[in-house]
Amino acid sequence: MPTTIPHPTPQAAPLTATATDVLLEFRNIRIVYDNAIEAIRDVSIAVPEGSIVALLGSNGAGKSTLLKAMSGILYTEEGVIENGGIRFRNDEVHRLAPDELVRRGIVQVPEGRRVFAALTTDENLQMGGYTRTGAEARERRDKVFALFPRLHERRDQIAGYMSGGEQQMLAIGRALMTDPVLLALDEPSLGLAPLIIDRIYEVIVRLRDELKMTVLLVEQNAQRALDIADYGYILETGRVVLDGTAKKLTANEDVQEFYLGVSSSGRKSLRDVKHYKRRKRWLS
Amino acid sequence: MQYLVQLLISGLAIGAIYGLIAMGFAVIYKSTGLVNFAQGEMTMITAYIAWTISTTVSGNVFVVALGAILAAVLLGLIIERLVMRPMLGEPVFATVMVTIGLAVILRSAINFIWDAYPHGLDIGMGRGIVHLGGIGVRTGQLAVIATLLLLLAAIWAFFRYSKVGVAMRAVAADDRTALLMGISATKVHALAWAASSVIAGIGGVFFALSYDLSPAMFQLGLKAFPATILGGLDAVLGSGLGGLLIGITENLAGGYLGSGMKEVAGFAMIIVVLMVRPFGIFGERDIERV
Repeated sequence: MPTTIPHPTPQAAPLTATATDVLLEFRNIRIVYDNAIEAIRDVSIAVPEGSIVALLGSNGAGKSTLLKAMSGILYTEEGVIENGGIRFRNDEVHRLAPDELVRRGIVQVPEGRRVFAALTTDENLQMGGYTRTGAEARERRDKVFALFPRLHERRDQIAGYMSGGEQQMLAIGRALMTDPVLLALDEPSLGLAPLIIDRIYEVIVRLRDELKMTVLLVEQNAQRALDIADYGYILETGRVVLDGTAKKLTANEDVQEFYLGVSSSGRKSLRDVKHYKRRKRWLS
Repeated sequence: MQYLVQLLISGLAIGAIYGLIAMGFAVIYKSTGLVNFAQGEMTMITAYIAWTISTTVSGNVFVVALGAILAAVLLGLIIERLVMRPMLGEPVFATVMVTIGLAVILRSAINFIWDAYPHGLDIGMGRGIVHLGGIGVRTGQLAVIATLLLLLAAIWAFFRYSKVGVAMRAVAADDRTALLMGISATKVHALAWAASSVIAGIGGVFFALSYDLSPAMFQLGLKAFPATILGGLDAVLGSGLGGLLIGITENLAGGYLGSGMKEVAGFAMIIVVLMVRPFGIFGERDIERV
Protein backbone atom coordinates (compact mmCIF):
# COMPACT_ATOMS: atom_id res chain seq x y z
CA MET A 1 0.00 0.00 0.00
CA PRO A 2 1.49 3.38 -0.95
CA THR A 3 2.07 5.93 1.75
CA THR A 4 2.47 9.65 1.66
CA ILE A 5 4.77 9.77 4.64
CA PRO A 6 7.87 11.73 3.79
CA HIS A 7 11.11 10.54 5.22
CA PRO A 8 13.01 13.00 7.35
CA THR A 9 16.28 14.42 6.19
CA PRO A 10 19.25 12.54 7.59
CA GLN A 11 20.21 13.83 10.99
CA ALA A 12 23.28 13.82 13.14
CA ALA A 13 23.84 10.68 15.17
CA PRO A 14 20.90 10.10 17.51
CA LEU A 15 21.40 9.83 21.22
CA THR A 16 20.34 6.24 21.49
CA ALA A 17 22.34 3.34 20.28
CA THR A 18 19.75 2.31 17.71
CA ALA A 19 20.75 2.51 14.12
CA THR A 20 17.64 4.29 12.86
CA ASP A 21 16.80 7.95 13.26
CA VAL A 22 14.98 9.07 16.34
CA LEU A 23 11.60 10.45 15.34
CA LEU A 24 10.21 11.49 18.71
CA GLU A 25 12.19 12.13 21.81
CA PHE A 26 11.22 13.03 25.35
CA ARG A 27 14.30 14.68 26.74
CA ASN A 28 14.78 14.78 30.48
CA ILE A 29 11.20 15.81 30.88
CA ARG A 30 9.56 16.78 34.16
CA ILE A 31 5.80 17.30 34.35
CA VAL A 32 3.95 18.82 37.27
CA TYR A 33 0.19 19.01 37.79
CA ASP A 34 -1.41 21.88 39.69
CA ASN A 35 2.03 23.20 40.70
CA ALA A 36 2.17 20.44 43.25
CA ILE A 37 2.02 16.90 41.95
CA GLU A 38 5.07 15.65 40.13
CA ALA A 39 3.75 13.15 37.61
CA ILE A 40 6.87 12.67 35.52
CA ARG A 41 10.40 13.09 36.79
CA ASP A 42 13.37 13.38 34.44
CA VAL A 43 12.14 10.93 31.84
CA SER A 44 13.99 10.42 28.58
CA ILE A 45 12.45 8.27 25.90
CA ALA A 46 13.47 7.89 22.28
CA VAL A 47 11.13 6.55 19.61
CA PRO A 48 13.10 5.50 16.52
CA GLU A 49 11.49 5.99 13.14
CA GLY A 50 9.56 3.00 11.82
CA SER A 51 9.53 1.06 15.07
CA ILE A 52 7.03 0.09 17.73
CA VAL A 53 8.07 1.34 21.13
CA ALA A 54 6.17 0.01 24.13
CA LEU A 55 5.65 2.16 27.18
CA LEU A 56 4.77 -0.12 30.07
CA GLY A 57 3.83 0.39 33.65
CA SER A 58 1.00 0.07 36.09
CA ASN A 59 -1.83 2.50 36.73
CA GLY A 60 -0.67 5.98 37.65
CA ALA A 61 2.88 5.45 36.44
CA GLY A 62 2.59 8.49 34.20
CA LYS A 63 2.17 6.84 30.80
CA SER A 64 -0.89 8.80 29.79
CA THR A 65 0.66 11.99 31.10
CA LEU A 66 3.53 11.57 28.66
CA LEU A 67 1.08 11.13 25.79
CA LYS A 68 -0.86 14.21 26.85
CA ALA A 69 2.37 16.18 26.87
CA MET A 70 3.15 14.83 23.41
CA SER A 71 -0.22 16.01 22.09
CA GLY A 72 -0.03 19.39 23.78
CA ILE A 73 -3.14 18.97 25.92
CA LEU A 74 -1.56 18.97 29.37
CA TYR A 75 -2.89 22.47 29.94
CA THR A 76 -6.45 21.17 30.01
CA GLU A 77 -5.57 19.45 33.29
CA GLU A 78 -3.37 22.18 34.72
CA GLY A 79 -0.28 20.21 33.80
CA VAL A 80 2.98 21.97 32.96
CA ILE A 81 6.28 20.80 31.51
CA GLU A 82 8.68 22.25 34.05
CA ASN A 83 11.89 20.94 32.63
CA GLY A 84 13.23 19.32 29.51
CA GLY A 85 11.22 19.01 26.37
CA ILE A 86 9.91 17.00 23.48
CA ARG A 87 11.58 16.88 20.09
CA PHE A 88 9.98 15.66 16.91
CA ARG A 89 12.26 15.38 13.88
CA ASN A 90 14.76 17.43 15.86
CA ASP A 91 12.33 20.32 16.36
CA GLU A 92 11.21 21.47 19.76
CA VAL A 93 7.48 20.72 19.74
CA HIS A 94 6.32 20.87 23.33
CA ARG A 95 5.12 24.45 23.06
CA LEU A 96 3.03 23.90 19.94
CA ALA A 97 -0.77 23.96 19.92
CA PRO A 98 -2.56 20.61 19.62
CA ASP A 99 -3.79 21.28 16.09
CA GLU A 100 -0.28 22.19 14.91
CA LEU A 101 1.05 18.92 16.36
CA VAL A 102 -1.61 17.00 14.46
CA ARG A 103 -0.65 18.83 11.25
CA ARG A 104 2.96 17.78 11.79
CA GLY A 105 1.91 14.15 12.05
CA ILE A 106 1.69 13.39 15.76
CA VAL A 107 -1.58 11.84 16.83
CA GLN A 108 -2.83 9.61 19.60
CA VAL A 109 -5.70 7.25 20.17
CA PRO A 110 -6.77 8.25 23.65
CA GLU A 111 -7.37 5.87 26.51
CA GLY A 112 -10.90 4.49 26.56
CA ARG A 113 -11.31 5.07 22.79
CA ARG A 114 -13.26 8.29 23.20
CA VAL A 115 -15.18 8.09 19.97
CA PHE A 116 -17.69 10.90 19.48
CA ALA A 117 -20.65 8.86 20.67
CA ALA A 118 -23.44 10.89 19.06
CA LEU A 119 -21.70 11.04 15.68
CA THR A 120 -21.79 8.34 13.01
CA THR A 121 -18.74 6.33 11.99
CA ASP A 122 -18.36 8.47 8.89
CA GLU A 123 -18.60 11.68 10.88
CA ASN A 124 -16.06 10.41 13.41
CA LEU A 125 -13.65 9.70 10.57
CA GLN A 126 -14.39 13.09 9.07
CA MET A 127 -13.34 14.66 12.37
CA GLY A 128 -10.08 12.74 12.19
CA GLY A 129 -9.49 14.32 8.79
CA TYR A 130 -10.37 17.78 10.06
CA THR A 131 -6.92 19.22 9.44
CA ARG A 132 -6.76 17.75 5.92
CA THR A 133 -8.43 18.89 2.74
CA GLY A 134 -11.59 17.17 1.52
CA ALA A 135 -9.78 15.20 -1.18
CA GLU A 136 -7.00 14.07 1.18
CA ALA A 137 -9.58 13.03 3.76
CA ARG A 138 -11.54 10.96 1.25
CA GLU A 139 -8.36 9.20 0.17
CA ARG A 140 -7.40 8.49 3.77
CA ARG A 141 -10.89 7.22 4.49
CA ASP A 142 -10.65 4.64 1.76
CA LYS A 143 -7.39 3.41 3.27
CA VAL A 144 -8.97 3.20 6.71
CA PHE A 145 -11.87 1.21 5.28
CA ALA A 146 -9.36 -1.13 3.60
CA LEU A 147 -7.69 -1.65 6.96
CA PHE A 148 -10.97 -2.06 8.86
CA PRO A 149 -13.67 -3.38 6.50
CA ARG A 150 -15.94 -3.58 9.51
CA LEU A 151 -16.02 0.21 9.71
CA HIS A 152 -17.19 0.39 6.13
CA GLU A 153 -20.14 -1.84 6.99
CA ARG A 154 -20.94 0.40 9.91
CA ARG A 155 -20.32 3.76 8.33
CA ASP A 156 -23.78 5.21 9.02
CA GLN A 157 -24.02 3.72 12.49
CA ILE A 158 -24.04 6.00 15.55
CA ALA A 159 -20.64 5.34 17.16
CA GLY A 160 -22.00 5.18 20.69
CA TYR A 161 -24.06 2.12 19.84
CA MET A 162 -21.18 0.08 18.43
CA SER A 163 -19.33 -2.63 20.30
CA GLY A 164 -16.12 -1.94 22.19
CA GLY A 165 -14.01 -3.57 19.50
CA GLU A 166 -15.66 -1.58 16.73
CA GLN A 167 -15.22 1.58 18.72
CA GLN A 168 -11.53 0.81 19.15
CA MET A 169 -11.19 0.27 15.41
CA LEU A 170 -13.01 3.54 14.83
CA ALA A 171 -10.74 5.36 17.29
CA ILE A 172 -7.66 4.03 15.51
CA GLY A 173 -9.19 4.75 12.10
CA ARG A 174 -10.03 8.26 13.18
CA ALA A 175 -6.43 8.83 14.26
CA LEU A 176 -5.17 7.41 10.96
CA MET A 177 -7.34 9.95 9.15
CA THR A 178 -4.94 12.67 10.30
CA ASP A 179 -2.25 11.05 8.10
CA PRO A 180 0.12 10.53 11.03
CA VAL A 181 3.85 9.92 11.04
CA LEU A 182 3.75 8.91 14.66
CA LEU A 183 0.74 7.10 16.07
CA ALA A 184 0.45 6.74 19.82
CA LEU A 185 -2.05 4.30 21.27
CA ASP A 186 -3.11 4.56 24.90
CA GLU A 187 -4.12 1.11 26.16
CA PRO A 188 -5.74 -0.18 22.97
CA SER A 189 -6.52 -3.53 24.61
CA LEU A 190 -8.43 -2.04 27.52
CA GLY A 191 -11.70 -3.83 28.14
CA LEU A 192 -11.65 -5.85 24.92
CA ALA A 193 -12.05 -9.57 24.32
CA PRO A 194 -8.78 -11.45 23.56
CA LEU A 195 -9.82 -12.17 19.98
CA ILE A 196 -10.51 -8.51 19.30
CA ILE A 197 -7.19 -7.59 20.89
CA ASP A 198 -5.47 -9.98 18.47
CA ARG A 199 -7.16 -8.21 15.59
CA ILE A 200 -6.15 -4.75 16.85
CA TYR A 201 -2.56 -5.85 17.39
CA GLU A 202 -2.36 -7.35 13.92
CA VAL A 203 -3.31 -3.96 12.54
CA ILE A 204 -0.69 -2.21 14.67
CA VAL A 205 1.98 -4.51 13.27
CA ARG A 206 0.74 -3.86 9.74
CA LEU A 207 0.94 -0.13 10.33
CA ARG A 208 4.62 -0.48 11.09
CA ASP A 209 5.51 -3.09 8.47
CA GLU A 210 3.36 -1.99 5.53
CA LEU A 211 2.78 1.70 6.12
CA LYS A 212 6.18 2.37 7.74
CA MET A 213 4.44 4.15 10.57
CA THR A 214 6.10 4.75 13.91
CA VAL A 215 4.07 3.54 16.87
CA LEU A 216 4.26 4.49 20.53
CA LEU A 217 2.27 1.84 22.35
CA VAL A 218 1.20 2.49 25.91
CA GLU A 219 0.00 -0.64 27.67
CA GLN A 220 -0.64 -2.27 30.99
CA ASN A 221 -0.83 -5.54 29.15
CA ALA A 222 2.95 -5.96 28.99
CA GLN A 223 2.93 -9.42 27.43
CA ARG A 224 0.94 -8.31 24.43
CA ALA A 225 2.90 -5.14 23.93
CA LEU A 226 6.34 -6.78 24.17
CA ASP A 227 5.26 -9.44 21.68
CA ILE A 228 5.09 -6.91 18.89
CA ALA A 229 7.33 -4.08 20.11
CA ASP A 230 10.91 -3.46 19.06
CA TYR A 231 11.88 -1.58 22.16
CA GLY A 232 10.33 -1.02 25.56
CA TYR A 233 10.42 1.37 28.48
CA ILE A 234 9.08 0.57 31.91
CA LEU A 235 7.69 3.47 33.87
CA GLU A 236 7.13 3.44 37.59
CA THR A 237 5.80 6.41 39.58
CA GLY A 238 6.90 8.89 36.98
CA ARG A 239 10.37 7.54 36.23
CA VAL A 240 11.84 5.20 33.69
CA VAL A 241 13.09 2.25 35.71
CA LEU A 242 14.11 -0.06 32.91
CA ASP A 243 14.46 0.02 29.18
CA GLY A 244 15.77 -2.23 26.47
CA THR A 245 14.85 -4.19 23.39
CA ALA A 246 11.61 -6.08 23.66
CA LYS A 247 13.55 -9.34 23.64
CA LYS A 248 15.75 -8.26 26.50
CA LEU A 249 12.82 -7.04 28.56
CA THR A 250 10.86 -10.23 28.00
CA ALA A 251 13.83 -12.22 29.23
CA ASN A 252 14.41 -10.02 32.24
CA GLU A 253 13.55 -11.80 35.47
CA ASP A 254 12.11 -8.79 37.21
CA VAL A 255 9.93 -7.91 34.25
CA GLN A 256 8.69 -11.47 34.17
CA GLU A 257 7.92 -11.33 37.84
CA PHE A 258 6.11 -7.99 37.88
CA TYR A 259 4.63 -7.54 34.45
CA LEU A 260 4.41 -10.88 32.73
CA GLY A 261 3.09 -12.85 35.66
CA VAL A 262 5.83 -15.46 35.45
CA SER A 263 7.26 -16.49 38.78
CA SER A 264 10.90 -17.47 38.72
CA SER A 265 11.40 -18.71 42.26
CA GLY A 266 8.41 -20.93 42.77
CA ARG A 267 4.89 -19.89 43.64
CA LYS A 268 4.77 -17.70 46.70
CA SER A 269 1.74 -16.47 48.51
CA LEU A 270 0.35 -13.17 47.35
CA ARG A 271 1.51 -11.63 50.57
CA ASP A 272 5.10 -12.65 49.93
CA VAL A 273 4.95 -11.21 46.45
CA LYS A 274 3.64 -7.96 47.80
CA HIS A 275 6.36 -7.85 50.39
CA TYR A 276 8.94 -8.60 47.77
CA LYS A 277 7.54 -5.85 45.62
CA ARG A 278 7.76 -3.39 48.42
CA ARG A 279 11.29 -4.34 49.31
CA LYS A 280 12.69 -4.50 45.86
CA ARG A 281 13.09 -1.17 44.13
CA TRP A 282 14.00 -0.70 40.53
CA LEU A 283 16.19 2.24 41.14
CA SER A 284 18.86 2.80 43.68
CA MET B 1 -62.60 30.98 13.89
CA GLN B 2 -61.12 34.04 12.32
CA TYR B 3 -60.16 35.27 15.76
CA LEU B 4 -58.39 31.97 16.45
CA VAL B 5 -56.44 32.11 13.19
CA GLN B 6 -55.51 35.69 13.90
CA LEU B 7 -54.23 34.71 17.33
CA LEU B 8 -52.33 31.77 15.90
CA ILE B 9 -50.63 33.86 13.25
CA SER B 10 -49.54 36.60 15.60
CA GLY B 11 -48.53 33.89 18.08
CA LEU B 12 -46.37 32.26 15.44
CA ALA B 13 -44.85 35.62 14.56
CA ILE B 14 -43.79 36.54 18.09
CA GLY B 15 -42.92 32.88 18.67
CA ALA B 16 -40.59 32.98 15.69
CA ILE B 17 -38.75 35.90 17.30
CA TYR B 18 -38.45 33.97 20.57
CA GLY B 19 -37.39 30.96 18.54
CA LEU B 20 -34.57 32.83 16.80
CA ILE B 21 -33.20 34.10 20.10
CA ALA B 22 -33.68 30.68 21.67
CA MET B 23 -31.62 29.18 18.87
CA GLY B 24 -28.93 31.70 19.78
CA PHE B 25 -28.87 30.28 23.31
CA ALA B 26 -28.77 26.73 22.00
CA VAL B 27 -25.94 27.30 19.52
CA ILE B 28 -23.68 28.56 22.29
CA TYR B 29 -24.74 25.86 24.72
CA LYS B 30 -24.28 23.15 22.15
CA SER B 31 -20.71 24.05 21.30
CA THR B 32 -19.38 25.53 24.55
CA GLY B 33 -21.59 24.05 27.26
CA LEU B 34 -22.44 27.52 28.55
CA VAL B 35 -25.69 29.38 29.01
CA ASN B 36 -25.19 32.91 27.76
CA PHE B 37 -27.35 35.12 29.93
CA ALA B 38 -26.38 38.14 27.84
CA GLN B 39 -28.21 36.77 24.79
CA GLY B 40 -31.15 39.18 25.08
CA GLU B 41 -28.78 42.12 25.49
CA MET B 42 -26.72 41.10 22.47
CA THR B 43 -29.96 40.85 20.50
CA MET B 44 -30.93 44.34 21.61
CA ILE B 45 -27.57 45.82 20.63
CA THR B 46 -27.76 44.31 17.17
CA ALA B 47 -31.24 45.79 16.72
CA TYR B 48 -30.01 49.21 17.84
CA ILE B 49 -27.10 49.03 15.41
CA ALA B 50 -29.54 48.15 12.62
CA TRP B 51 -31.59 51.18 13.58
CA THR B 52 -28.51 53.42 13.57
CA ILE B 53 -27.59 52.16 10.11
CA SER B 54 -31.10 52.80 8.85
CA THR B 55 -31.10 56.40 10.11
CA THR B 56 -27.52 57.38 9.27
CA VAL B 57 -26.35 55.32 6.30
CA SER B 58 -29.32 54.13 4.29
CA GLY B 59 -32.79 52.84 4.88
CA ASN B 60 -32.40 50.24 2.14
CA VAL B 61 -33.40 46.77 3.36
CA PHE B 62 -30.28 45.06 2.04
CA VAL B 63 -27.90 47.65 3.46
CA VAL B 64 -29.55 47.39 6.87
CA ALA B 65 -29.65 43.59 6.80
CA LEU B 66 -26.03 43.22 5.71
CA GLY B 67 -24.85 45.86 8.17
CA ALA B 68 -26.75 44.25 11.02
CA ILE B 69 -25.37 40.80 10.24
CA LEU B 70 -21.80 42.10 10.08
CA ALA B 71 -22.31 44.01 13.32
CA ALA B 72 -23.70 40.90 15.00
CA VAL B 73 -20.74 38.80 13.85
CA LEU B 74 -18.32 41.38 15.21
CA LEU B 75 -20.22 41.66 18.47
CA GLY B 76 -20.13 37.90 18.95
CA LEU B 77 -16.43 37.64 18.10
CA ILE B 78 -15.46 40.56 20.34
CA ILE B 79 -17.35 39.19 23.32
CA GLU B 80 -15.88 35.73 22.80
CA ARG B 81 -12.33 37.07 22.51
CA LEU B 82 -12.40 39.68 25.29
CA VAL B 83 -14.71 38.16 27.85
CA MET B 84 -15.20 34.44 27.28
CA ARG B 85 -11.81 33.19 26.14
CA PRO B 86 -9.99 34.30 29.30
CA MET B 87 -12.57 32.26 31.19
CA LEU B 88 -11.73 29.08 29.27
CA GLY B 89 -11.07 26.23 31.67
CA GLU B 90 -12.57 28.11 34.63
CA PRO B 91 -15.56 26.60 36.41
CA VAL B 92 -18.79 26.77 34.42
CA PHE B 93 -20.54 28.56 37.26
CA ALA B 94 -18.00 31.40 37.23
CA THR B 95 -18.24 31.68 33.45
CA VAL B 96 -22.02 31.87 33.54
CA MET B 97 -21.76 34.57 36.21
CA VAL B 98 -19.51 36.48 33.82
CA THR B 99 -22.24 36.39 31.16
CA ILE B 100 -24.68 37.82 33.73
CA GLY B 101 -22.25 40.65 34.44
CA LEU B 102 -21.84 41.18 30.73
CA ALA B 103 -25.62 41.38 30.40
CA VAL B 104 -25.81 44.26 32.87
CA ILE B 105 -22.98 46.12 31.15
CA LEU B 106 -24.54 45.75 27.70
CA ARG B 107 -27.92 46.81 29.06
CA SER B 108 -26.43 50.04 30.38
CA ALA B 109 -24.46 50.52 27.18
CA ILE B 110 -27.76 51.22 25.40
CA ASN B 111 -28.24 54.31 27.54
CA PHE B 112 -24.62 55.44 27.10
CA ILE B 113 -24.45 54.99 23.35
CA TRP B 114 -28.05 55.64 22.34
CA ASP B 115 -30.81 56.91 24.63
CA ALA B 116 -33.69 55.70 26.72
CA TYR B 117 -36.47 56.70 24.29
CA PRO B 118 -38.34 54.23 22.13
CA HIS B 119 -37.55 54.30 18.42
CA GLY B 120 -39.23 52.79 15.42
CA LEU B 121 -37.10 50.90 12.94
CA ASP B 122 -38.41 52.05 9.56
CA ILE B 123 -36.99 50.49 6.44
CA GLY B 124 -40.19 50.95 4.50
CA MET B 125 -41.13 47.32 4.96
CA GLY B 126 -42.74 45.03 7.43
CA ARG B 127 -45.61 47.25 8.53
CA GLY B 128 -47.77 46.82 5.46
CA ILE B 129 -50.76 44.52 5.76
CA VAL B 130 -51.67 41.71 3.40
CA HIS B 131 -55.02 39.99 3.48
CA LEU B 132 -55.03 36.24 3.50
CA GLY B 133 -58.57 34.92 3.23
CA GLY B 134 -59.97 37.91 5.03
CA ILE B 135 -57.34 37.94 7.75
CA GLY B 136 -55.01 40.90 7.88
CA VAL B 137 -51.39 39.93 8.48
CA ARG B 138 -48.42 42.25 8.67
CA THR B 139 -45.72 41.49 6.13
CA GLY B 140 -43.12 41.65 8.90
CA GLN B 141 -44.91 38.82 10.68
CA LEU B 142 -44.90 36.66 7.59
CA ALA B 143 -41.27 37.48 6.96
CA VAL B 144 -40.13 36.49 10.44
CA ILE B 145 -41.97 33.17 10.29
CA ALA B 146 -40.44 32.46 6.88
CA THR B 147 -36.99 33.46 8.15
CA LEU B 148 -37.24 31.15 11.13
CA LEU B 149 -38.26 28.20 8.97
CA LEU B 150 -35.49 28.96 6.50
CA LEU B 151 -32.89 29.22 9.26
CA LEU B 152 -34.14 26.02 10.88
CA ALA B 153 -33.56 24.19 7.61
CA ALA B 154 -30.19 25.85 7.02
CA ILE B 155 -28.94 25.11 10.52
CA TRP B 156 -30.13 21.53 10.36
CA ALA B 157 -28.17 21.06 7.14
CA PHE B 158 -25.16 22.85 8.62
CA PHE B 159 -24.91 20.57 11.66
CA ARG B 160 -25.67 17.49 9.60
CA TYR B 161 -23.52 17.95 6.52
CA SER B 162 -20.82 20.58 6.91
CA LYS B 163 -17.43 19.70 8.34
CA VAL B 164 -17.47 22.69 10.66
CA GLY B 165 -20.97 21.85 11.84
CA VAL B 166 -19.95 18.29 12.67
CA ALA B 167 -16.86 19.70 14.40
CA MET B 168 -19.09 21.88 16.58
CA ARG B 169 -20.99 18.78 17.66
CA ALA B 170 -17.72 16.98 18.29
CA VAL B 171 -16.36 19.81 20.44
CA ALA B 172 -19.60 19.93 22.38
CA ALA B 173 -19.51 16.18 23.01
CA ASP B 174 -15.83 15.87 23.96
CA ASP B 175 -13.64 18.91 23.54
CA ARG B 176 -10.43 17.21 24.68
CA THR B 177 -10.67 14.48 22.05
CA ALA B 178 -11.59 17.12 19.48
CA LEU B 179 -8.30 18.83 20.36
CA LEU B 180 -6.47 15.54 19.79
CA MET B 181 -7.91 15.44 16.29
CA GLY B 182 -6.56 18.90 15.55
CA ILE B 183 -9.88 20.70 15.93
CA SER B 184 -9.18 24.04 17.54
CA ALA B 185 -11.79 24.47 20.26
CA THR B 186 -11.22 28.23 20.46
CA LYS B 187 -12.01 28.67 16.77
CA VAL B 188 -15.15 26.60 17.12
CA HIS B 189 -16.18 28.62 20.16
CA ALA B 190 -15.60 31.91 18.34
CA LEU B 191 -17.68 30.68 15.45
CA ALA B 192 -20.47 29.63 17.80
CA TRP B 193 -20.57 33.06 19.42
CA ALA B 194 -20.65 34.79 16.06
CA ALA B 195 -23.39 32.49 14.72
CA SER B 196 -25.44 32.80 17.88
CA SER B 197 -25.16 36.58 17.80
CA VAL B 198 -26.34 36.70 14.19
CA ILE B 199 -29.27 34.31 14.64
CA ALA B 200 -30.53 36.09 17.74
CA GLY B 201 -29.81 39.49 16.15
CA ILE B 202 -32.09 38.65 13.24
CA GLY B 203 -34.83 38.00 15.77
CA GLY B 204 -34.10 41.35 17.40
CA VAL B 205 -34.28 43.26 14.12
CA PHE B 206 -37.60 41.63 13.27
CA PHE B 207 -38.90 42.57 16.68
CA ALA B 208 -37.87 46.16 16.11
CA LEU B 209 -39.60 46.09 12.72
CA SER B 210 -42.91 44.93 14.11
CA TYR B 211 -42.81 46.72 17.44
CA ASP B 212 -40.37 49.32 18.74
CA LEU B 213 -36.82 49.59 19.94
CA SER B 214 -36.47 50.41 23.59
CA PRO B 215 -33.93 49.77 26.33
CA ALA B 216 -36.33 47.17 27.73
CA MET B 217 -35.89 44.98 24.67
CA PHE B 218 -33.40 42.76 26.50
CA GLN B 219 -36.43 41.14 28.14
CA LEU B 220 -36.82 39.25 24.90
CA GLY B 221 -33.97 37.13 26.21
CA LEU B 222 -35.99 36.31 29.31
CA LYS B 223 -38.86 35.18 27.08
CA ALA B 224 -36.64 33.21 24.74
CA PHE B 225 -34.65 31.40 27.44
CA PRO B 226 -37.69 29.35 28.53
CA ALA B 227 -38.21 28.49 24.87
CA THR B 228 -34.70 27.06 24.81
CA ILE B 229 -35.30 25.08 27.98
CA LEU B 230 -38.59 23.85 26.56
CA GLY B 231 -37.05 22.73 23.28
CA GLY B 232 -33.92 21.40 24.95
CA LEU B 233 -30.81 23.46 25.68
CA ASP B 234 -28.69 21.30 23.42
CA ALA B 235 -31.26 21.14 20.64
CA VAL B 236 -30.88 24.06 18.25
CA LEU B 237 -33.86 23.13 16.11
CA GLY B 238 -35.89 22.18 19.17
CA SER B 239 -35.26 25.64 20.59
CA GLY B 240 -36.62 27.26 17.46
CA LEU B 241 -39.77 25.16 17.68
CA GLY B 242 -39.94 25.80 21.42
CA GLY B 243 -40.14 29.49 20.63
CA LEU B 244 -43.10 28.92 18.31
CA LEU B 245 -44.87 26.86 20.98
CA ILE B 246 -44.40 29.54 23.61
CA GLY B 247 -45.54 32.28 21.23
CA ILE B 248 -48.73 30.42 20.35
CA THR B 249 -49.51 29.45 23.93
CA GLU B 250 -49.00 33.01 25.10
CA ASN B 251 -51.24 34.44 22.45
CA LEU B 252 -54.03 31.92 22.86
CA ALA B 253 -54.04 32.38 26.62
CA GLY B 254 -53.95 36.13 26.21
CA GLY B 255 -56.77 36.07 23.68
CA TYR B 256 -59.15 33.69 25.43
CA LEU B 257 -58.28 33.91 29.11
CA GLY B 258 -57.49 37.60 29.38
CA SER B 259 -54.31 39.54 28.93
CA GLY B 260 -53.22 38.84 32.50
CA MET B 261 -52.76 35.19 31.56
CA LYS B 262 -50.49 36.04 28.64
CA GLU B 263 -47.33 36.35 30.70
CA VAL B 264 -48.16 33.34 32.84
CA ALA B 265 -49.24 30.82 30.23
CA GLY B 266 -45.87 30.20 28.61
CA PHE B 267 -44.15 29.58 31.92
CA ALA B 268 -46.98 27.38 33.18
CA MET B 269 -46.55 25.21 30.11
CA ILE B 270 -42.81 25.03 30.66
CA ILE B 271 -43.26 23.83 34.23
CA VAL B 272 -45.59 21.08 33.09
CA VAL B 273 -43.37 19.99 30.18
CA LEU B 274 -40.21 19.96 32.26
CA MET B 275 -41.89 17.76 34.85
CA VAL B 276 -42.43 15.18 32.13
CA ARG B 277 -39.22 15.74 30.16
CA PRO B 278 -36.65 17.48 32.35
CA PHE B 279 -34.20 17.91 29.49
CA GLY B 280 -36.73 19.57 27.18
CA ILE B 281 -38.90 18.23 24.41
CA PHE B 282 -36.05 17.69 21.96
CA GLY B 283 -33.11 17.65 24.39
CA GLU B 284 -30.82 14.65 24.31
CA ARG B 285 -29.32 14.49 27.75
CA ASP B 286 -29.55 15.76 31.27
CA ILE B 287 -28.49 19.31 31.60
CA GLU B 288 -26.37 19.40 34.69
CA ARG B 289 -23.67 21.87 33.80
CA VAL B 290 -25.80 25.01 33.91
